[in-house]
Amino acid sequence: MKTLTTRFLMTCAAIGAAMGVLLIPANFVSAPLAASAPMAYAPLVGLWVIGPVLALALLRRPGAAVLTTFVAGVVSSASPVGAWSIVTCLLAGVAVELAFLVTRYRVWSAWLYYVDALVFGALYVASGWAAFHMDAMAPAVLVTFVVLMMGSFLACTWLGRLLARRLAKAGVARGLVPSRGDVAAGEVAQDALR
Amino acid sequence: MTTAAVVDTVAPTGEPATAGPRPGGLGDLRTYNPLVKILGPVPVMVFLVTTRDVLTPALVALAAIAVLAVMGRLRPRVLVAVALGALALCLVMTFSFGLLTDPATVQDTTLLATVGGFDVWSGALATGLATAVRTVALLMLVLLGGLTTSGADFVRALTQQARLPYRIGYAALAALRFVPRFSHELEVIRGAHRVRGVAPGRGPFAAVRRQAGYVVPLLAGGIRHAERVSLAMDARGFGAHPRRTDRVTAPFRVCDVVLLVSFWAGGAGCAVLAALLR
Repeated sequence: MKTLTTRFLMTCAAIGAAMGVLLIPANFVSAPLAASAPMAYAPLVGLWVIGPVLALALLRRPGAAVLTTFVAGVVSSASPVGAWSIVTCLLAGVAVELAFLVTRYRVWSAWLYYVDALVFGALYVASGWAAFHMDAMAPAVLVTFVVLMMGSFLACTWLGRLLARRLAKAGVARGLVPSRGDVAAGEVAQDALR
Repeated sequence: MTTAAVVDTVAPTGEPATAGPRPGGLGDLRTYNPLVKILGPVPVMVFLVTTRDVLTPALVALAAIAVLAVMGRLRPRVLVAVALGALALCLVMTFSFGLLTDPATVQDTTLLATVGGFDVWSGALATGLATAVRTVALLMLVLLGGLTTSGADFVRALTQQARLPYRIGYAALAALRFVPRFSHELEVIRGAHRVRGVAPGRGPFAAVRRQAGYVVPLLAGGIRHAERVSLAMDARGFGAHPRRTDRVTAPFRVCDVVLLVSFWAGGAGCAVLAALLR
């Protein structure tokens, strides 16, 4: 709770609100699109990871992705699926957050974001596999579908990181990000304790 | 003004405080606990994803629409839209997923027609229909909670019953007020860019470039606004106490337990009925 300052909470809320506004039309479009033209729906799935990736890359604090997606879900609940958007958004946030949790929030390199996108993408395809009975589809269709989805996750991860870089350059959230010196000092202190 | 007043005056719908059953009583799905309505049907959904026949999801979808019609208290137009939408979705998906089905696995079924180079096999349509009905059933279970629960109500139930720290819940509720703020900010940024001649020109490419130019200033403005709001919240002692009271309550009553059990019983009943009819 100590790291959960009001400033951090509200910064995540602002990013989440922006992502939520983006997701309201996506919520309306995705269901009919997934039904009528699954190929056109596949590139859209990445929209759900822009927010959490942006928040993590900008703030570099535990919980940023989950908080951002939670707020995004609340804001985007102004659609027919209502409060369900909170659940779907949180799933994306938890998936993005997990990779950083596993590495104990020590690694913030670009590769981790992309590995995360690939693993999350694979899990998402696997869940869609059961729901859409994808083992009955033609192989060429399957390959296109998987490539489009993975490409979407990777492209949106890239976009989220790009936006975070631009925002950091504009001086946003300065003082909120644990600086490298602090992290190093913390590690030294922990090593000394051992 | 206390923080409670800050967040309460920004509540989007301004619902009346409810300490007991709201008007509408037990027959109104909107009075039930949001946690039950949203998370209650999840086991039924997981079961549905594993089915491959047409009958089980069809029964579940019909049951969900019936519950929505009787207890949803939706406007007639919305209800008709849901029913017609489900039917249309079913038809479209049968064909679109039928076309995606591997022709090699359905060669032994009859060839119904050839549309623009695509062969329509009856087996492919059957597979498409099963997927379509399954998706519609899932969608109906989502709409059951979704159409009767607002995001803000779900957040309140999360903080009151699911032990979500109230600072997180109230941050999310306060974020709802950022949305109109964003549209105002967008107007200001648009004007500023026009005055300075950022990304001028006509045509779709210039328009896209212009729109892309709004993203970073908009986000930066939003985050800076959020920082000012957080200062105001801190100054008013937001989060000073481990617990807080709520203006709008989301009670968890006996009827919520009944609803939860009847979701599961309904799902099991549909599965048994489908097995008997088969």
